[in-house]
Amino acid sequence: MSRIDVNHVWKIYDGDVVGVRDLTFTCEDKEFLAILGPSGGGKSSTLRMLAGLEDITRGEVFFDGKIVNKMEPAERNIALAFESYALYQRLNVYENIAFPLRAKKKDRKEIDKKVNEIAELMNLGSILHKMPGGLAGGQQQRVSLARAFVRNPNLTLLDEPISHMDQRVRMELRARIRRLHDDLGLTTIYVTHDQSEATSLCDRLIVINRAQLQQIGTVNEIWNKPKNKFLASFVGEPTMNFLDAVIEDSKTVSVTQQDKKIIFPFSGELKNITAASAVEMGFRPQEVKIERKRINNKSAIHGIVKVVEFQGHLTILTIELYDLNRTEIKAVVEAHDKYKTDEEITVVINPEIIHLFSGEEPVLERKGFKEKK
Amino acid sequence: MAEVRFDNVSKYYGHKPAVKNLTFTCKEGGFLSIVGPTGAGKSTILKMVAGIESISSGRIFFNDTVVNDLQPQDRNVSMAFETYNLYPHIKVYDNIAFPLRAKKWGFNLSEDEERAKVMEIAAFLGIDEYLDRLPQNLSGGQKQRVSLARALVRKPEVYLLDEPIAHLDARLKFSTQTLLKEFAQEYKSTIIYVTHDYREALALSDTIIVLKNGEVVQEGSPEEVYNYPKIPFVGKTIGEPPMNIIRGESIVSGEKVIFKAGSDLSFICNDDLAGKAFSLTQKSKEKVPLLAGIRSEYIAVGKEKISEYSFQLPVYAVTHESESSIITFKLENGTFIYARVGSEMESSYEVSDVVWLDFDQEKTFFYVDQKLDN
Repeated sequence: MSRIDVNHVWKIYDGDVVGVRDLTFTCEDKEFLAILGPSGGGKSSTLRMLAGLEDITRGEVFFDGKIVNKMEPAERNIALAFESYALYQRLNVYENIAFPLRAKKKDRKEIDKKVNEIAELMNLGSILHKMPGGLAGGQQQRVSLARAFVRNPNLTLLDEPISHMDQRVRMELRARIRRLHDDLGLTTIYVTHDQSEATSLCDRLIVINRAQLQQIGTVNEIWNKPKNKFLASFVGEPTMNFLDAVIEDSKTVSVTQQDKKIIFPFSGELKNITAASAVEMGFRPQEVKIERKRINNKSAIHGIVKVVEFQGHLTILTIELYDLNRTEIKAVVEAHDKYKTDEEITVVINPEIIHLFSGEEPVLERKGFKEKK
Repeated sequence: MAEVRFDNVSKYYGHKPAVKNLTFTCKEGGFLSIVGPTGAGKSTILKMVAGIESISSGRIFFNDTVVNDLQPQDRNVSMAFETYNLYPHIKVYDNIAFPLRAKKWGFNLSEDEERAKVMEIAAFLGIDEYLDRLPQNLSGGQKQRVSLARALVRKPEVYLLDEPIAHLDARLKFSTQTLLKEFAQEYKSTIIYVTHDYREALALSDTIIVLKNGEVVQEGSPEEVYNYPKIPFVGKTIGEPPMNIIRGESIVSGEKVIFKAGSDLSFICNDDLAGKAFSLTQKSKEKVPLLAGIRSEYIAVGKEKISEYSFQLPVYAVTHESESSIITFKLENGTFIYARVGSEMESSYEVSDVVWLDFDQEKTFFYVDQKLDN
């Protein structure tokens, strides 16, 4: 329940290994922020510095404007829940949850009220007297979260608390965490390598890679206006498709197919690039249109279905395009349109779904997507 | 490659059954997945096919041959274990080449031929740069792909793959999953595949077997198992969010049948759905306990009433996916209900808003209420 400011923070390990490089961001009061990135990218170092488990080499961290660099973990009043639950095995569920309050010497009645309140929210009412050893994994995780939330922390730090759980309880835990955050007015920073978890819960997302902040914004912003090609392909599953293309003019690119060129109009403005330059045209599997009839037109390229992967409410196609490179792309389609292997189809890449990159740099200023929230 | 057939196969440890009365067929060139929670008996089935576990009763056929009494080395199967089981003291290259050198398969490959085969599968799985390393110098995900490469490098009667991509990170898992499907299609391989991840089973298989406490509770195509779960357990095991299962009762009131769960959920059943309820209950009874099952994508959500079958609930939480959002509702009895809506809708729903829900009744199922089914 505090605003968190991270100001030019560095973590440099023994010698000169840079764990975190010049990190600056703000987590607003009551915001739910997710930090996402590949493992080894600097997420955990960031989390540990916020928690006070690791020294900050350079820069400052502020809670509500107060510098906390030198504060012990306990003084920072942070709720921590890790992937492994680490419950006190010799205390029952009630005492596990009450533990942080007893440590703060709260009176008995207040403790009882708080424990019951949080137990109700996490649906632990019926197992308060049980010992942790006898609980299922999902229950243990809920106890761990309840214990983290019970003491009105300044900041709640969650480190992959759900990703290894059974698929039958993941969705429920997500909903409970988000609801708890909203009800208690928490400030939450959620660290994960699992993007479906990050994007499902957060107000804003921070992507960290190679010790550096890549982008901070709503999922929608990062999805639609990624600042580099790494971000474009990192956020989104299945990942963005890329085709070799050439800039024709300020409104179109072309892709070569044997003896002819296919023209793809795009929407938005080009920047830092001139006609005839080679670029990569990106488009998302979730946004591309697949037609079963043969269309010969602008924006349309033919291909053949190589693999059909049914996923329940949707199906993922792997398609070999008839461009010069025979590029393989993915497309997400409705599950009830039953596509077959070796079926010939048309891929329609509409102007508004196109991204353009020259190396890592986006060279198309995209416009016209609506901002959510 | 062979067809693999189970004929009433059981496995007991003492008096305790690990799997019971299994009868199913994996066709030649077929991809059969076995799905179920930990301890359901999935790996036991693979081990019986491989010959590492004995069979207590029943018969396993490879084509027309009963293999019950054949030793593992005489069955010509190729297995990838979840625990990798790599040879620690030899390089990745030699681990993968190992099955090609076994005398009994009679490959007698020249060094170049062997290298070509190893390189092909290693490149296919993206591990060609690790060939000179020892297994101990690989990450879990790399070891797992080596184990898979070793299993796929030669063509046996049947491939037995036990959670072969479970330890890969999400992105690599999806891409390797696609590769596996390409491999299976191209080589028309018979594959029996064990996984706890329903997505792999749906994407890869032509037949899925859902196992619960050692018994087959459903066998069918991925579409059948996903769209027509025979029991609530299957609906909950396959899919995320899991299928909504709502404990309630059907109530006959005048001409109408109403489904009611606690004090906060009740909707009118159309004639077809009422018929489904009647087929499970006796028409005469006024109130009969039932479970209603519906997948999240078949619940419509709106600010206005959608049809005469709509009902209202407050929003418990809103979470997002890349193409859709999940709106969660929580009934007073503690049951969570998930509705998947298009992402263009999401921003219009806030926690605690009371909104209209509308079940696609054609996609709604009723089940007899057997307590503790899951």
